[in-house]
Amino acid sequence: MLAGAPDAPISLDPKGTENLLLPERQFRIIEVLSKADKKVLEVNELSRQLGTDPSALMRDLAELEAKGLIRTSKRYIIKAKLTEEGEKFVKKGFPEERLLKKLLEVGEEVPLSTIFSQSFRERAELSTDEVKIAINHLIRLRAIRIERGSVKLASKEEIEGILARIRSEREGLRKLRDATLSQVDDTVQFFRRRKLIELREKTILEVGLTDKALEMLERGQIRSGIVVTRLTPELIVSGKWRSAIFKKFDLRVDVPTVYPSRKHPYMELLDDIREILASMGFEEVKGPHVELEFWNFDSLFQAQDHPAREIHDTFYLKFPKRGSVSDKDLLERVKRTHENGWITGSKGWGYKWSPEKALKLILRTQTTAVSMRVIYERGEGEYRCFSLDRVFRPETLDPTHSMEFYQLEGIIVGRRVTFRNLLWFFNEFAKKLGLGWVKIKPAYFPFTEPSVEGFIKHPKLGWIEVFPGGMFRPEVLYPLGVKNCNVAAWGIGIDRIAMAMLEIDDIRDLFSQRIDFLREKPVPIIRSLWR
Amino acid sequence: MPVIQVNWRDLEKLVGKSLSEEEISQYLPALKCEIEGIVGDEIEYEATHDRPDLFSAEGLARALKGLLELEVGLRKFNVKGISTELPARGPAYRPYVLGAIVRGLDLDEEALKQIMNLQEKLHTTYCRDRRKVSIGLYDLSTVKFPIKYIAVKPEEISFVPLGETEPMTLNEILSRTEKGRMYAHLVRGHDKYPLLIDSEGTVLSFPPIINSEDTKVTENTREVFIDVTGVDLNAVMNVLKVIVTSVAERGKPEVIELVKVTFEDGREVVSPDLSAQEMLFDPNLVERLVGIKLGIDDIRSLLRRMRHEAEPVNDVLKVQVAPYRLDILHQVDLAEDVAMAYGYENIGPEPIPTSHPGSVHPIEKISRKLRDILIGLGFFEVSNYMMSNPDVLVTRMRLKEQRVIEVENPKMEKYTAVRNWLIPGLLETASLNLKLGYPLKLFEIGDVVIVDEREENKTRTERHLACLIISPEETLTNILVVIKAIMKALNVAYTLRESEHPSFIPGRTASIIVDNNSIGILGEIHPEVLMAFEINLPTVCLEINVNDLLRIISY
Repeated sequence: MLAGAPDAPISLDPKGTENLLLPERQFRIIEVLSKADKKVLEVNELSRQLGTDPSALMRDLAELEAKGLIRTSKRYIIKAKLTEEGEKFVKKGFPEERLLKKLLEVGEEVPLSTIFSQSFRERAELSTDEVKIAINHLIRLRAIRIERGSVKLASKEEIEGILARIRSEREGLRKLRDATLSQVDDTVQFFRRRKLIELREKTILEVGLTDKALEMLERGQIRSGIVVTRLTPELIVSGKWRSAIFKKFDLRVDVPTVYPSRKHPYMELLDDIREILASMGFEEVKGPHVELEFWNFDSLFQAQDHPAREIHDTFYLKFPKRGSVSDKDLLERVKRTHENGWITGSKGWGYKWSPEKALKLILRTQTTAVSMRVIYERGEGEYRCFSLDRVFRPETLDPTHSMEFYQLEGIIVGRRVTFRNLLWFFNEFAKKLGLGWVKIKPAYFPFTEPSVEGFIKHPKLGWIEVFPGGMFRPEVLYPLGVKNCNVAAWGIGIDRIAMAMLEIDDIRDLFSQRIDFLREKPVPIIRSLWR
Repeated sequence: MPVIQVNWRDLEKLVGKSLSEEEISQYLPALKCEIEGIVGDEIEYEATHDRPDLFSAEGLARALKGLLELEVGLRKFNVKGISTELPARGPAYRPYVLGAIVRGLDLDEEALKQIMNLQEKLHTTYCRDRRKVSIGLYDLSTVKFPIKYIAVKPEEISFVPLGETEPMTLNEILSRTEKGRMYAHLVRGHDKYPLLIDSEGTVLSFPPIINSEDTKVTENTREVFIDVTGVDLNAVMNVLKVIVTSVAERGKPEVIELVKVTFEDGREVVSPDLSAQEMLFDPNLVERLVGIKLGIDDIRSLLRRMRHEAEPVNDVLKVQVAPYRLDILHQVDLAEDVAMAYGYENIGPEPIPTSHPGSVHPIEKISRKLRDILIGLGFFEVSNYMMSNPDVLVTRMRLKEQRVIEVENPKMEKYTAVRNWLIPGLLETASLNLKLGYPLKLFEIGDVVIVDEREENKTRTERHLACLIISPEETLTNILVVIKAIMKALNVAYTLRESEHPSFIPGRTASIIVDNNSIGILGEIHPEVLMAFEINLPTVCLEINVNDLLRIISY
């Protein structure tokens, strides 16, 4: 079989199982062979009849052989080819022939000096070397002899005979031009020695139809089709697709990378997290980014000289500077709670509370301010809310710090809500995010009691703190009008969890401005949302 | 949170029992002390702000004794009567001083280190870097009662400050010593400085700056005088309680003597006040708040393990809280102590059934719809920081007069203001991605903050959508196609009104009008703006107020 037989092209013809649809040229090969003697042809002959180059046929022949329609066999022959000199001699005659003819014109005895003279040679169209060769041959043929520096010719009859002999040799040489030889005889050897011919061994490829092909031809099962690389509207409309042969696609060839326009991976993840919280009965709420210290700190029972309220932990506004709270009673309740505990049962912080300080405008440092506004508006009842938005802290942006990040804040409000419910939330939420078991430890936050910190096990970083929370203090709830309900609250820095889930090591990459970075990130998948 | 180092052997000495590593890693976190590392005998942990009594080995050991049930209930201190008077005549800007005497001490190198470190940790936290309160400890044998707290002129007096060899005036101390330079701002500018001096004229200290070398506490010190000065009497007393009770743990046994402080207005305060705080504790609070069912006896014993005294009176517990427990303001704080002694790990979660279906905020829902439409139109989503700067938001956008929301204390030049629109940030992002080929199509959906005098916080947050297209062949048509597609998808009728905006090319900008209100703007960006962002290609963009869109759609 010929090497490199490729996969067969594919035909969509529904009768393809009985009929064999062949590309046009392959069909023609079968046709030509079927008309040949013994249904066998040399490739050269085949290609001649097809009007093509033999090398162009090889792929088709390999395919046909693979299909079992043809058989190929090889034979070796000798090819003769005239050399340049040989060609010249055939055209102009051998040098001895030409010299002899010239000598006949000149006389019976010619001095060698005359023969070698330029004028003589020009007339005879012979080079010095050719003259030498010709003299040697003529001596050997006894047409001449050399006596005292002169050439003496033989008799006219003898010379006629010799000339006839030389002519027949020349004819013999002419016949060797592009001849195929079955054997190398003395004449051939003679010409080869005189470097008038070259001999080459050649492989002859013979192609013949198989019995299978003959049978199929007889039944008319072999037909001609066209090979296509792609389907075109024309092929569909014309119905030519039925006789089309589809070139098989090479799947190993790599294709160019294209990038879909898509959602920002972090925004997409945050949206999924919103879905999780909604599925747990939480209603999303929102609040302002520019906030009064009052809502961000005072309402949370954070004393006015609490370190978190200093300029290295909170962004204060240059413009606008100061806000207002229209509910003066609310201000009064918070003031009293800070100063002496008011009616909350607390001692309070025991300092003079300043309304001026409380009305300063800041960029919110925690979305807990949103929870405060929600509790103030809704009061007592049974509800759950969350907010997932940005907060701000005066940090210098580096791989682990950011002046702006997302916080996921939530509250569960109700008469029977306890600390254990908060622990349930942590575990349930971690489970849904696929973060595993939450380890808890006591913690301190100024506005919750008891307070807790939840840790999850990160494959690379070990135990990391991700879930801070607690039960809002009465000093927080009473001034907002909540005396008979508990509130479980938590505020999660979601960036850290997002970094683990998106496999990002540098916090700045969460807000990367590089499209070539973002588009390489896989689409985030939270498996719990898919069940 | 303050990081504390204690010595394992010293801690064992104070606890009176050897401590295994398991016990350390179990009980320290139970007291909110997060272990940072244990190297040899040195244990490093992070304590929480609310428990200054745990800022040194003495207080930690006292709490551990309770958890280990080696000594439970209230720690009673051996307090004798008043042994001296202290006239308080300090400067008006730092009027308060209180004092105490502790005798019977047995100090070694580690004990000294702990007491000094406690003082420093209190200074940096509760004392607000000495601004509010500052502490001094002195070897009692070097001073003669009565001690006075006075105000003196800076050049009037000189003494050898701690760690120095030469006497210096108060002003010299402020400029020449390290502590002086660190805390000078607390007194500088006043004509008189505070001073603590004994009856023979020996200077004890220049509060809140530095003590004197002559009165310093050493390993040989058996008795100390402690002073606390400050601007808030309540805070001064609290700090004194923590420091005195901690130092007292080094007594064998301790004897605490009281100081009667007399103020100029005739007021007298006896310090330290080491009386226990009485609080009634409703045992039901544990179940109501924490969710665990415990009997009154169990609660009593858990409180005692946290070093409170608790006696049942009728159905409640009468609790006595130690003076150093500054964090106990309310019953809920005791409830947390009960939970901590019970062990957080033993509490266990309890599901709470959902009473209402949850929901995602409508603004997020419409944002998702818009995202889908924009992505369908071939735009790529980006998300920028809300913080930006006036150069990007105003100057580069050719908006000369606009005032944006700026912070007073920025950390980085690039982030000094809050964005009031999205296009500037989008242009910034675009200019970083021009090499990726054209057309570049980006969008952002995010919050911006607008100044609004009608609001209590003088601003309002708005959700905006902005998108842009950049290529060598952009004209207004390409963005008009986009707004048409968005509005058609949302089924909102709109018109365009020719308008003027410095950021856009005149005659190629328009307001997007719905029901006679402008909800956004679109146009071809002005070449001057493009140059400011180093974009050398025509750019078209639009920005819409999504809140307006939401109102229109949900109407």
